[in-house]
Amino acid sequence: MDDEEEQQKLPDLVKALVHHLLSQNLPPNSPPLNPNSSHFRNSLRYAHRILSSHLSPSITPDAAAVAESIKRRLATEGRSSEALSFADLYTKFVSKAADVDNKWALLHLFNIISQDRKTAVKSQLDSSVFLPNLAISDNNAVKTPRKGWSDGVVVLAKDPDNRRDIAFREYVKLVKEENDVTEEAMVTDVLYACQGVDGKYVKFDNENSCYVLLDSVRVSRGTTGMVYRLCELGVLFKKVIGYIEQSLGRFQTEDVGTVGQAFCSALQNELSDYYKLLAVLEAHSSNPIPLLSESGNSVNYLSLRRLAVWLAEPMVKMKLMADLVEKCRVLRGGAMAGAIHLHARHGDPMVHEFMKRLLQRVCSPLFEMVKRWVLEGELEDIFAEFFIVGQPVKAESLWREGYRLHDVMLPSFISASLAQRILRTGKSINFLRVCCEDRGWAHAATEVAIDTGATARRGGFGYGETDTLESLVDEASKRIDKHLLDVIYERYKFKEHCLAIKRYLLLGQGDFVQYLMDIVGPELSGPANTISSFKVAGLLETAIRASNAQYDDPDILDRLRVKMMPHESGDRGWDVFSLEYDARVPLDTVFTESVMARYLRIFNFLWKLKRVEHALIGAWKILKPNCITSNSFIRLQSSVKMQLVSALRRCKVLWVEINHFISNLQYYIMFEVLEISWSNFLSEMEVAKDLDDLLAAHEKYMDSIVEKSLLGELSQSLYKSLVVIFDLILRFRSHADILYEGIHELQAKITESSLSSRAQQKTRKQSKDKSLDEGSWIADGRKALTQRAGEFLRKMEQDLDAITKEYTSLQEEFISQLPVQQHVDLKFLFFRLDFNDFYKRVVS
Amino acid sequence: MPREIITLQVGQCGNQIGMEFWKQLCLEHGISKDGILEDFATQGGDRKDVFFYQADDQHYIPRALLIDLEPRVINGIQNSDYRNLYNHENIFVSDHGGGAGNNWASGYHQGKNVEEDIMDMIDREADGSDSLEGFVLCHSIAGGTGSGMGSYLLETLNDRYSKKLVQTYSVFPNQMETSDVVVQPYNSLLTLKRLTLNADCVVVLDNTALNRIAVERLHLSNPTFAQTNSLVSTVMSASTTTLRYPGYMNNDLVGLLASLIPTPRCHFLMTGYTPLTVERQANVIRKTTVLDVMRRLLQAKNIMVSSYARTKDASQAKYISILNIIQGEVDPTQVHESLQRIRERKLVNFIEWGPASIQVALSRKSPYVQTAHRVSGLMLASHTSIRHLFSKCLSQYDKLRRKQAFLDNYRKFPMFADNDLSEFDESRDIIESLVDEYKACESPDYIKWGMEDPNNMMTGEGSAAGSLDPKSEV
Repeated sequence: MDDEEEQQKLPDLVKALVHHLLSQNLPPNSPPLNPNSSHFRNSLRYAHRILSSHLSPSITPDAAAVAESIKRRLATEGRSSEALSFADLYTKFVSKAADVDNKWALLHLFNIISQDRKTAVKSQLDSSVFLPNLAISDNNAVKTPRKGWSDGVVVLAKDPDNRRDIAFREYVKLVKEENDVTEEAMVTDVLYACQGVDGKYVKFDNENSCYVLLDSVRVSRGTTGMVYRLCELGVLFKKVIGYIEQSLGRFQTEDVGTVGQAFCSALQNELSDYYKLLAVLEAHSSNPIPLLSESGNSVNYLSLRRLAVWLAEPMVKMKLMADLVEKCRVLRGGAMAGAIHLHARHGDPMVHEFMKRLLQRVCSPLFEMVKRWVLEGELEDIFAEFFIVGQPVKAESLWREGYRLHDVMLPSFISASLAQRILRTGKSINFLRVCCEDRGWAHAATEVAIDTGATARRGGFGYGETDTLESLVDEASKRIDKHLLDVIYERYKFKEHCLAIKRYLLLGQGDFVQYLMDIVGPELSGPANTISSFKVAGLLETAIRASNAQYDDPDILDRLRVKMMPHESGDRGWDVFSLEYDARVPLDTVFTESVMARYLRIFNFLWKLKRVEHALIGAWKILKPNCITSNSFIRLQSSVKMQLVSALRRCKVLWVEINHFISNLQYYIMFEVLEISWSNFLSEMEVAKDLDDLLAAHEKYMDSIVEKSLLGELSQSLYKSLVVIFDLILRFRSHADILYEGIHELQAKITESSLSSRAQQKTRKQSKDKSLDEGSWIADGRKALTQRAGEFLRKMEQDLDAITKEYTSLQEEFISQLPVQQHVDLKFLFFRLDFNDFYKRVVS
Repeated sequence: MPREIITLQVGQCGNQIGMEFWKQLCLEHGISKDGILEDFATQGGDRKDVFFYQADDQHYIPRALLIDLEPRVINGIQNSDYRNLYNHENIFVSDHGGGAGNNWASGYHQGKNVEEDIMDMIDREADGSDSLEGFVLCHSIAGGTGSGMGSYLLETLNDRYSKKLVQTYSVFPNQMETSDVVVQPYNSLLTLKRLTLNADCVVVLDNTALNRIAVERLHLSNPTFAQTNSLVSTVMSASTTTLRYPGYMNNDLVGLLASLIPTPRCHFLMTGYTPLTVERQANVIRKTTVLDVMRRLLQAKNIMVSSYARTKDASQAKYISILNIIQGEVDPTQVHESLQRIRERKLVNFIEWGPASIQVALSRKSPYVQTAHRVSGLMLASHTSIRHLFSKCLSQYDKLRRKQAFLDNYRKFPMFADNDLSEFDESRDIIESLVDEYKACESPDYIKWGMEDPNNMMTGEGSAAGSLDPKSEV
């Protein structure tokens, strides 16, 4: 349309075209077309209208794309050879016809025509294949395109007077009048603002921390709103960049931490995209904003509206980042990662993707730490960001106190149980290293690393691959824990030591305990402060040598010691004597001081019980069946005899009752407490997978013993009455001793007197002189003896009665408490104690 | 200080059952016939030194004295595979080797004559132990040596080792068949007196019941002595397991017996064992649980003492004490359940004058002896029905005594010289009073027993001046 000539040519060409078309469509045998006929003129006018209309197809003006679509269509219609030849033709066309403009339009035209023809063939409208509409009147023009032109071409009525252009010009003028500033300037300012820089008209207001338009500038309300909306991006950007700069500034001095650093770098990464976009936009902004009328060709210009579109996505991201920055300002390490993770669960895939990218970078130092910890037990965490913290402790408390989870630093994408496993695995390694002096774990760790491929890809897993992490941790913990347990069981003989403790501290090795009781007994009867622990230790040694304990592992025996507890004035040796077992590293992790203190309590109770049993057996021994006391009181007065028999019977019956109580208490302790707890412990030991399980099992074992032996908090009243009963039994024992000593003495006297009386008889036969004197002495003695015996027995009987009474009431009290115990099952003890319903009968 | 126990096996029967006992102990401890510890016996945990000591060359030697007045049985032992097991210094065979002729008085008297020799041996053994717990006497009460000499030894031990325990495994004669020893009732009575007065615990091994068990339970038509003796050795070894395999409780004889014998005079124990097998005999293998074992132990058919009680008396009979020694792999919870079941079902009848319960000792089984049963159990019990066994002895004695039969054999010896048969009468009184005491135990008023009638009581207790010269009064 540049040449005058061509402009002149065009109407002629159009005329020729119309003529050609009309004459082709003429019915046969009709007169030749008259160029001046109204029909022709109408058609010509119609053609002009079509040509001057702003018709534009709904496809992109891209020649290659159109060609491609044609090719594809051909191919899908099974005309592949044609498609090939089309492609060939197209390439020739593109390379040779360099001077042809609007190649795409041409192609599109061809395409439409070919499709149009096809439709026409289908609808059998052969008579009006081309330009059928030309024959149709103007009124139908709107309707017809739907039939024939199915290609979505919108037909706009061309305003003949070009009213639109006029309107646009009017509008531009209006806009210019309303605004002091052009839109281009605004766009530039907004772009500045988006980079955190003040523009000409848009400045940052520190007070409200947002960008504002200068008051002096007059702009339309719409523009103001738009500018403000867009400038929010700038505010957000300022926030983000401010955080980054702040953090970067603190890297050296303060502990931003590796996670913080990673976060900053991830933010910067994201910002670099943003910078790129801004650069492009800035370039675009230099293009003038075309009037609407001239639109279509000039694409790369920026209006505020276009800018809004461009910046929509960065806005979302920036908002997120600013949000994160706000949230993370005070957070560090795992806590920061956790906080960021909270934003990751977003339905918008764009956001989700963005967060994932961000998190992957943020978490990578954390995951690296996890890996180092789980595979090497190294806690490389100078900035205290990891969710596991260590503290220097003694070896024995390394397991319990050495490391703990730092809940604040635990990111929420790592579950508590996983965190526990992570903690335990590294702890196990450290435990092995420090307490067990073991190197074997390294082998196990290497295996894990190989199996899970963790070494091949350094930092190979990160955020979002919690499964990988979990499987690594699982694998590592499984192997490391197994290795640890193997070491504990095999090298450190955990089970053997438990058994040794059961045998020595819980008195399972009966012969040893008995012998110990025999030989330390006399020593322990003295006041506590006179006892030489050296001597008692010697006695312990003797007891070991004399019992089956001697065949035990020397290592075990070496750990068995006497412990004298701190004593108060008035304490006897019995009160302070106890045994202890030196567990040593690493087993002192299980047998901690507090655990050993509980063992000590159990020992003291069992030892007390054994002592009572020992005393009772001793009492039985002095009144055993073949002992001489049951015989030879023939010459006593019958009343004294009765007293004697009655005292003995009382003593024995009381003994029976007490012995029944004590032995059944012991049976209860043995079957219901020690053995059952032990067998439960053993089976739990079998299934224990890690040291924590083992500790828990042992804890349970201890609890069950303490609870069931009535040493627990809730059994205090029962325990107290037991102790009182024990004391009473010891008193009974000494009374029995006195009784039997008295009887022995009596017996000796009687024997003596009968011998002397016989001797006297003999002497009387020989010489009758002295007999009178001696006889009277003996007679006197006999009488006095009888009297003394009577008194003694009366007193003994009274004492025994008192003891019996006291014992009966104490025992009744104890038994009556048994069925009402809620916290521990004492049914067994109860029904054993009253197996033959004796007490039930007594009560009724 | 292993609380040693010295075993005295006296007479033909005593040596036979003693022999079986040692065989069994050797097996259980992995000690060879020569006293050498077998290579496989390394599992430890057992205490051999209660019953054995080690010679300088590490041989295990039983703390046993083999005593007889005639050489036949001991010669047999000395010619057996086990000849090197025993300490030859501990074997005593009378010089003349003529035995005691089934005469209690002869055995007693000969015992008196060789007292010094035998006490030397006993002293030597006792000195060789750190903390002697007591003696176990194996003998029969019917013959001459075991009963007579055994009686003498009991009195001597009581005198000299009054602080030590004396336990006996006493074989009571088979009452069902006519014995070749016609004076058996005399011998039994005289021995019973010593068992009552001079022993702390008598484990009654009733040949009648052993035979019955062999026939009924083991389906042996004509059980041999060896077979019944193997039952005895099973019982003996089982009753000592808690001493040989130390545990939390019952680690010494005194502890074991104390609870079993609450009333000093009622110290005659019955035994029961299940499941029973005899060497080389394939038995039906049953499922054995603790409850099964404990329940079967309470059944009369498994008790190794015959019950001569009439039905009415039998229903009155009561347990004074029970100890079940359960061997094998036992889950401790089962004990609790079994006891509960037994109590609910009222399977056991205890005395009413004091508290009593079934005591259960769990003991390990020897790892060297293979048994078909997972769990086995021994019951030691003091049961009042044993008085019927003594009554039977009394009635048989009375029959014989009324006829004044065979007393001449006894009059030959100093104790009965000058036709002084007061020893018989005194023994009879003591046994009768024993029977009375058992009977009294069946009543809830045992505590008051004998108080109303001090004279009767005193004859019981008073005449029991065994070790003192009973004639000092005269």
